[in-house]
Amino acid sequence: MVTKDDSRTQKDEVASNRIVRVKSIPQRILDALTDFRDADRPSRIDKLGRVGLLIPAFASTMIIILILTFLWYEAMPIFADPAGGPGIIVNPTWDPSRDSYGIAIFIVGSLLCTGIAIGIAVPLGLAGAIFLSEYCPGRLRQPLKMIIEMMAAIPSIVYGLWAYVVLVPYIGNTLAPALQSNPLTAWIPFFQGETNGLSLIAGGIILAIMLLPTVVTISADALQTVPRSLREASYALGATQSETARKITLSAALPGIGAAVILSLGRAVGETMAILMVTGNSLQIPYTIFDPVYVMTSIITNQLGYAFVFPLWRSALFAIGLILLIMSICFTITAKLFIRWGMKTRGMTG
Amino acid sequence: MTHTERTEQRTPVNGTIRILIGRYQSFRELKDLFFKILLSVAIIVIVAPFFLVLFEVASIGFWQVFGSSSGQGIEFFLTFPGPSLEGGIRNALVGTVELVVIASCVGIPLSVLGAVYINEYTEPGLTKSIVEFTSDVLAGVPSIVIGAFGFAFLVDFLKLGMGVLAGSLTLSFMMIPTVLRTTQEALRSVPQSLREASLALGATKWSTTWNVTLRAAFPGIITGVLLAVGRIMGETAPLIFTAGNNLIVPTELSGSGSWVASLPYTIWAYITDPRAYVQEKAHGAALGLLIMVLIIDLIANYISRRVTRRLV
Repeated sequence: MVTKDDSRTQKDEVASNRIVRVKSIPQRILDALTDFRDADRPSRIDKLGRVGLLIPAFASTMIIILILTFLWYEAMPIFADPAGGPGIIVNPTWDPSRDSYGIAIFIVGSLLCTGIAIGIAVPLGLAGAIFLSEYCPGRLRQPLKMIIEMMAAIPSIVYGLWAYVVLVPYIGNTLAPALQSNPLTAWIPFFQGETNGLSLIAGGIILAIMLLPTVVTISADALQTVPRSLREASYALGATQSETARKITLSAALPGIGAAVILSLGRAVGETMAILMVTGNSLQIPYTIFDPVYVMTSIITNQLGYAFVFPLWRSALFAIGLILLIMSICFTITAKLFIRWGMKTRGMTG
Repeated sequence: MTHTERTEQRTPVNGTIRILIGRYQSFRELKDLFFKILLSVAIIVIVAPFFLVLFEVASIGFWQVFGSSSGQGIEFFLTFPGPSLEGGIRNALVGTVELVVIASCVGIPLSVLGAVYINEYTEPGLTKSIVEFTSDVLAGVPSIVIGAFGFAFLVDFLKLGMGVLAGSLTLSFMMIPTVLRTTQEALRSVPQSLREASLALGATKWSTTWNVTLRAAFPGIITGVLLAVGRIMGETAPLIFTAGNNLIVPTELSGSGSWVASLPYTIWAYITDPRAYVQEKAHGAALGLLIMVLIIDLIANYISRRVTRRLV
């Protein structure tokens, strides 16, 4: 039996509980300190650890905020200066000696290089991923996967060295003359122009080689998560293996593949060393694939060392860095959206 | 599949192809074969650069790294370069090791503890998604942007100056997201029952995490750490404006005495040098770096494969 008195005390307790729950922050800290004083040694360590772990947990958040703050702070002068302003993004003249800081050529150069690289890497990488997940004999799969993973681990400077020593002379001495003297391709305007091999196409090819492992690995993973029943249904309807791979598996894995492409786009725009060594770094907008080109990452690498005593020049370089950063953040967000889309529509983690 | 009988109407084209190909019974199956050949060619094209790069670097660098005459083999790594860059690359090797060790000392605890916090101490929610999102963003930031940030923040703003400290801190920024995400993945695959057993025995959350969860997740964490170390070992761009270059090993913690060389930077500087013997040394250094990175990657691969086999 619950008497009136009891129920009142219960109500009081509930009320006091409610009060406890909305305690003020200083009170909460005081309580935590009291708890800490009363606790034995293991629980003290436990309580300390819980608070102490907060700092490392937010390390990457703090670094991202710091990067954004510092790039913004460093890039501000050029955007505020009459010589610069937001117009530098479309201004094609980069001439620090005459206070002209147009960065359009670098953006165009980066986009062209990335475009060529993606154009080569995505079809090729998708074909490789389909081979790995659908056709590959079991004995061959593990070694192939290992080689592709090792390709991803090769430092970009080593790819750059190879491209500088092998690929660039090959393009200058063999590929360009062959394309330009051959009547089938000689008339194409994109293949014209004298070249020593340091060119847009060299940058595109080496970038494609560096992107391929990313594209292949992520797409192959996405293809492998496609349920076996989908393929079996397609076979049962009389489709051949290639039809199943192209029309069923590929479209089921589309979100994962989209994420792979976007992630490799981000890597391509940000790639520095290999591309710096092979693109020729000349201040012009390329009109043929054999023209030299200057990309955003190269200009920072080449000039920040001299520029840091000239406020405007330095600020323009940091503005390029800020644009790179914003692009990479956008790519990451897009890739995440692709994965979320995959989880929503296909119920799998791309 | 190819052996099933098909009941398609035979067109003249189909018939001709049948005669030509024999066992491939329809145009569709021919297309299937063609697709298969195309894919095999694609995978060969994809894998080829690996061997091309390895061959090119090894064909010139091999005698630098494995030769036995003076200045080659182990001597190549153990002598300092002279004023005109004859001699070995000890400065770069020692520099890379110093940079990677300091970066790991900063980066690994931060990222492992961070992963422990978001995986063990928080519920899925805002905190967790903020940390995950920002570490994914940080993983995607171009290396030269991290280098420029390291220059603006560590070298210029904090007045650390170029050198081993600024260089390795910049590298540790690159390390954090990789280790954090792989550690988180490893912690997630530890069965909940292990934690519950430990908590039921009266252990605190902290000692459960340290003695049970982290120990069970250890191989996965090591894999992530190795992958991250292999990656930052080959990074050049973050070091150009933060670590400087040096012909000897750094002797001080600040000032120009702390400038430090690294293998990737040395490769870059040597390969763009017009002198032939310096370019050969670049190949030697590249082969050394490549061997180190690939061995680290293989070990990581081996550990992760053994662990998955044990769990399955």
